[in-house]
This record gives sequence, structure tokens and C-alpha cells, in this order.
Amino acid sequence: MLFENRDKTPPTPAKLLRGWLEPIVADAPLAWLDHQIAAVESGDESALYLAFGFAPRKVGKQPLEPSALQLDLAQEARSGWDPSRWSVGQAARTLLLLSIPSEDPAPYFARLEKLFNAAELNESVALFQALPLLPHPELLVPRAIDGLRTNVKFIFAAIAHHNPFPEENFSEAAWNQMVLKALFIGAELDPMIGIDRRVNPALAEMLIDYAHERRAAARPIPPELWRMVGPFADATALEDMAALFAAGTEVEQAAIALALAASATDEADEILRTKPQLASQLDQGKLTWSGVCAAAYAN
Amino acid sequence: MYIDPHIHCSSRTTDDYERMAEAGIVAVIEPAFWLGQPRSNAGSYHDYFSSLVGFERFRAAQFGIKHYCTIGLNAKEANNERLAEEVLDMLPLFLAKENVVAVGEIGFDDMTAAEERALRVQLDLAKELELPVMIHTPHRNKKRGTYRSMDIIEEHGVAPHMVVIDHNNEETAKEVLDRGYWAAFTIYPKTKMGNQRMVEIVKQYGSDRIIVDSSADWGISDPLAVTKTANLMLSQGIAEQDVQLTCYKNAIDAYNQSGQFNEADWLNPTPIDEQKLFEGNSVLRGQRPDTNTPQEDEIIS
Repeated sequence: MLFENRDKTPPTPAKLLRGWLEPIVADAPLAWLDHQIAAVESGDESALYLAFGFAPRKVGKQPLEPSALQLDLAQEARSGWDPSRWSVGQAARTLLLLSIPSEDPAPYFARLEKLFNAAELNESVALFQALPLLPHPELLVPRAIDGLRTNVKFIFAAIAHHNPFPEENFSEAAWNQMVLKALFIGAELDPMIGIDRRVNPALAEMLIDYAHERRAAARPIPPELWRMVGPFADATALEDMAALFAAGTEVEQAAIALALAASATDEADEILRTKPQLASQLDQGKLTWSGVCAAAYAN
Repeated sequence: MYIDPHIHCSSRTTDDYERMAEAGIVAVIEPAFWLGQPRSNAGSYHDYFSSLVGFERFRAAQFGIKHYCTIGLNAKEANNERLAEEVLDMLPLFLAKENVVAVGEIGFDDMTAAEERALRVQLDLAKELELPVMIHTPHRNKKRGTYRSMDIIEEHGVAPHMVVIDHNNEETAKEVLDRGYWAAFTIYPKTKMGNQRMVEIVKQYGSDRIIVDSSADWGISDPLAVTKTANLMLSQGIAEQDVQLTCYKNAIDAYNQSGQFNEADWLNPTPIDEQKLFEGNSVLRGQRPDTNTPQEDEIIS
């Protein structure tokens, strides 16, 4: 058995990452990386900055492609951590970040800030996706929030998608702004970890306003929006939902059906019954928010 | 298919990017330079470098152009010695970035001692990091400045094949080529080099190690200068192969000595990082280059 002799304590993310690189990266670049990691651990700042930049060039830029087993181990090492979209170079960069001495928060944070401030696009992605693995998360919250101000969608996604950091660390206001901005720049909601756990009335209220404004201007409403609205739908929302349920596109109707089910009011139930076919699909579990997301962002 | 290996994109508009893509420019190199006015502090340099390795690269990609850059402290600002020290200390943060293809543009402006010191420090960095060097040659006292730059490069043991000497003219071309360097020519209206003159240079020296660029920046300049020069060469009987070398291939051979300027990057963009991370969603967001080809005078004098 694979797990028979395993230690009770799960391996750290750093240990996992280093192990995954072993069979993928050739000996010389791996030795280079180990050497740089040791230098960074010893406090060598210049080595950190140069190695962080050079890492993909040395170890490769191809996808990391962790196996299902490796992804399970990742979850065990750090719940919510999902390196399935990482590259080899990014894994090496993350190892360097995890090597920065962090007992004393001030110099540790100063080094991270320097990297963030000078980061190019792929480095930004690596930094933001490493957030859930880094010590002193409380220091990193403003940086994550600031990162969401970007208009570069894949940097936004590095923070908002497949990343447990926002759910665990963001205030309600920051969380709500992230969701709202995602809708504005056309980034999906479904890949946000905790999207259903962090619904709240303030967010629903903003989204109801937004949807109403879009409907008044005869503009399309992102179907995923209703996911946040459903549990808190008020009269205005229900009216907008009823209209879209009657005359919307297929994916819009599916989204409304799901939102109506989450609303659990008599009015919502009444609207849902106007389309028995959708109601029955819903009962059979054929409608999901992931499906709505995929259909809404197809092409 | 053309490359503009010296253009200051951050001073250009999106219209320029559209026209460049339409005219066949597939990749550009944006050398770090000054802003037309002196920077008042190192922070402004830091943000400039960040935009060269980050946002500008993204902006160009939105118009279908691969963007690379060179990083360095320019000669003019080497003379502000306090600023210069801080910027030189900052270089290791930026020189190792993925799209940095050389240390540059560095060299002389006034030929002061401070300029020479900054040049020497940066040549050592280039050597240590095994990066090519892009040399800016001065507008005033060009011939002496160019020769002096080469003397210093040789003193530092940087191989001439690792160095592009930029902004050459009829006076400097021969010596630069004879000493084994890449010789780049800036097609820039009213100053530097015109494209009719460029045709004559290629007729005289051939296409070996000669590179054409636009340098287009915040001054009156033409982001289509490379394409226009290529067209002019072709219309005046220069062989297609020589046009391809001077307006495309030589730049690749010179700057890919960094390992960061490979034809495959724009011919077969590998589905790494950006695309992969975004799960098939394009970052182009619907933008398409305009199809209007401007009908302008093709001669740049």
C-alpha cells in the first residue's frame, strides 16, 4: 500500500513541490534551484530577486500537470490549494518564496513587497497564486486586494479563482468588491473558492441594483449574478427574475431556475412553476451553477 | 513579417499598435530610455521598468504584437549621480525578467565621467548575466562617442557579437562592422537615418549584422519606419533575403543570445502561463487590428 508507511503529518507544500520537480527537471537546473533556495534561506536578497526572475528559464515553463494523487496530497497539505494550472517555473518560484526567512515579519514582508512591486505578468500570477501557502497572511491582504484592481484578467483570476486566500482573509466589503468586479470584467464566479459560503445581503443588494440597471438599459445580465441574489431576492429582484425566466436565453433561464430554488419563498416557487420542464430538470439535479458558468462563458 | 527591435512603445497610441500589426510587425523590443524630461526620483524609474516588463507587454499583446524590452540606466540620467546609484542598485530586480533581451540602451550622451561609470557598471552586469547589450550612440560627437563606447566594451571583455551598436550613420557604420559588432540604424525623420539613405547603406555593406529600427518615441517619429524601409529596399532592387535579414532575422540572431527572443514565441505561441492560466479565455477581448492601411509618403527623410 502506498500510504502504509506514511508519516501521520502531511508533507508541507514546499516538500511536495520540490518532489514534483524531481522527475520533470534535469539534474543541472535542479541543482541550480537547490543552490538558490539555500542562498535565499540564508538571507541573500540579491539571489532571491535574480533567481525569482530566472527560475522558469532554468527549470522550464511547461505545465506542471500534477496527477490526481498529487492534487489530493496538495489538498491535504493545505486545504483549498489547487496547483492544477501551475507551470514548472511557477512551482520553482513558489519554492523560492517559501524559502524567504519569515520569523521576523518586517524584513520578510519587505522582500515580498519588492517582488510584488517589480513583478512582470507571469511573476504576478505566481505571486498571487502562492498567497495561500505563505506565512503571515494578514500582512498580505492589502496586496491581494490591490491586485484585484488590475484590468488584466488573468492576474485578477490568479487571486480570485481556485485560490482559498480571499475566502479566508477578505472582509465582507473586499469580498463583495471582488465579486462585483469579476462581473464587470467578465471573469467567472464559479471558480471562486467559497462563492456560496460567502453570500451576504449587502452583496445581493448591490447585485440586484446592478441587474436592475442592466435590465433598464436593455443590456444582458451575467447569468452567474443570480447565484448571489437567489438567497436574498426581494420584490425588485423577483420581478427581474420573472421577466428573464419568461423570455431569457437558455442559460439565463437555467440560472434563474437555480436562483429561484435558492430563494425558497412562495413567490419564487410560483415563478418556478411557470416552467414545469425546468423545475423538473432542477429536481433531477441537471442544472448546476458550474454548468451555467460553462455555458455563459463558452466561446 | 518584420521586427522593430528599437521602439519606445509606451509613448505611442493604440492606433500605432494597430497600424504596426497591420503592416506586418510581429515583435518589438522597447529599450528603457528617458521620458523626455528627467526623472525626479528612483521610484519613477522603478514604475517605468515595471511597465516595460508588465503592462506594456500586455498592451502590445492585445494588438497581436509580442513585446520585449531592454533594461538599463540611460546615459543622460547617469549624470544625476544620486539617482543613478539607486537605479543601478535596482537593476537586478528587473534584468532577470522573462521578456528582457538585453541590457540597454546604455552608452554616452555628453561623454561625462558619470556616464562612463554607469556604462562600465552595466557592462559588468551584462557579462555576469550573459545578456546582450544595446548601445545608444550620442547625437553630438557621434563618431568619437561610438568609438569610445567600443573601446570600453572591449576593455571589459564583452564580445562584440553580444553587442548591438544603435543609431549608426554613414560615418560610423564601417568601423562598427569591421570591429565585429551588430550595427543598428534608426530610421527617424529629420535626424539619425532616413530610409533612402538606409537603402544606400545596405547596397554598400550588404545585410550581414545590419539591423533597421524606428526608435519611434514621443518625438515626431514613425512607428512604421521598418516596414516602409523594407518596402523601399524591395522597390529599389535589394534582394528579398537581404531585406529579411536587416528587417527581421538579424535582430533575432542578435537578441536571442539572451535566450529570450525566439521566433517560436510569435510563430507558435506555446499554450503556457497566460493562456493556460486563463483556461482558454483570450486576453484580447475582441480587439482586432484595424484594416485601414494608411496611405502616407513612404520616404522618411
